[in-house]
Amino acid sequence: MHFDPQVAWDSLPKLLAGTLTTFTVLLPVLVLGLLLALPIALARFKPGPRSVLAAAYIGFFRGVPSLVLLYLIYSGLPQFSLVRETFLWNVFSNAYVCAWIGLALTHSGFMAEIIRGGLAAVPQGTLEAAATLGLKPRQILFRLRLPMAARYVLRAYQNELLIMVKSTAAVSAITLVDLTAAANTVFDYTYDPFTPLMTAAAIYWCITNGIRLAFSAADRKFNRYLVRA
Amino acid sequence: MSAILSNVAMSQTSAARGQMSAVSISGLNKFYGTFHALRDIDLEVASGEIVVLCGPSGSGKSTLIRCINHLEQHDAGQIHVSGIKLTRRQDDVEKVRRELGMVFQNFNLFPHMTVLANCTFALKLAMRIAEKEAEAIAQEYLAKVNVAEQAHKYPIQLSGGQQQRVAIARALCLKPRIMLFDEPTSALDPESVGSVLRIMEDLAQTGITMICVTHEMGFARRVADRCVFMERGEIVEAGPADTFFDSPSSERLRNFLDKVL
Repeated sequence: MHFDPQVAWDSLPKLLAGTLTTFTVLLPVLVLGLLLALPIALARFKPGPRSVLAAAYIGFFRGVPSLVLLYLIYSGLPQFSLVRETFLWNVFSNAYVCAWIGLALTHSGFMAEIIRGGLAAVPQGTLEAAATLGLKPRQILFRLRLPMAARYVLRAYQNELLIMVKSTAAVSAITLVDLTAAANTVFDYTYDPFTPLMTAAAIYWCITNGIRLAFSAADRKFNRYLVRA
Repeated sequence: MSAILSNVAMSQTSAARGQMSAVSISGLNKFYGTFHALRDIDLEVASGEIVVLCGPSGSGKSTLIRCINHLEQHDAGQIHVSGIKLTRRQDDVEKVRRELGMVFQNFNLFPHMTVLANCTFALKLAMRIAEKEAEAIAQEYLAKVNVAEQAHKYPIQLSGGQQQRVAIARALCLKPRIMLFDEPTSALDPESVGSVLRIMEDLAQTGITMICVTHEMGFARRVADRCVFMERGEIVEAGPADTFFDSPSSERLRNFLDKVL
């Protein structure tokens, strides 16, 4: 077992194409997951049927393995003729769309809890102060509470993001060739498992470190207010 | 100092309010579950009057002041602020809050905003005033409470007294007719207490209406037009500062004053 630089170099185009797929899957998932998570998190604050539904949503999508969810969407849904014989087929026959939906649902379950925690951590007195200054409830939510919550959850979001980068590897189960799958195909025809997978790991390392640096920069910018000096 | 605060007074006197009472409370009752927090409170505060609420902790002083700007909902009775009836409707609440400024025990500054941004936040969002003008207004009031040099710092970088003075400036920026103070010096070290009380005394000279919950009896005696003593959710005794401190008529107030003076 040794690392073969020539194999690594030759496999680079395939691995980079896989990296592109990883990002093509990841970016819409992050946007979609966040958009789904926000109303779910907000619904948890007002006791009532909507809060119960939101709790069930979070419980379900945090509980189901994303790989199982991808199989259910990609292979399970077409079992219904309603999906197969209507416009829905245009949607669910596309592996990318299935990956986006499946991973976004999982991501949104976790994000909803992160956002809920952040919103709950904003001190009540701060919100009261804003109310006494004449701000409307909607302004207090969007201009004060969410921006404060976003600062609190920066590190938790970084964790979730790093996990998502690596969880996208599950999409190889529904025919997409992401970075991990690309490394695996190189192994298939070179019979060298070590080199392509180590190269893929190095690329993942670069991505996660880029994210780490971006979050450090964001932390310095947005959490300056926590520094006394 | 009272001279430089005078344009607060201008905004007070220029408003055509006649002799209308600033805050009028009648038959106010408030429950927390089965706990009767406020019992049949009647209180008239005239425009320009300085009223101090005192009493032991748990007596309902803070609850009363928080009912006036609807941070707490009252269960029975009526509250009028500058003649506006306070109901549960959001636009009534907002109208009433436009009349009122509030200063909290724990300052409640927005920690992630600079001092200046704390002051301009509501000017821009609630009053729709442009950034530049809002900053000019904020700087003016920050200067009045002696924290102008700290405008670009974050709250955490200021002492407690400075933070509370920023909170006062933030409220004054919106030119309220009535200021509510909820134990504004209770979270401060003794040195800072003085700096905040001086600002409040100067403010009292400007003709603004003030309702203060405080344990600072010296301040009450010097500044208050009227002192109100509360115990167990009731107003036990109220009167001009002199009579209140020198010849209290109720046993309960005498007992209280014996403890705190």
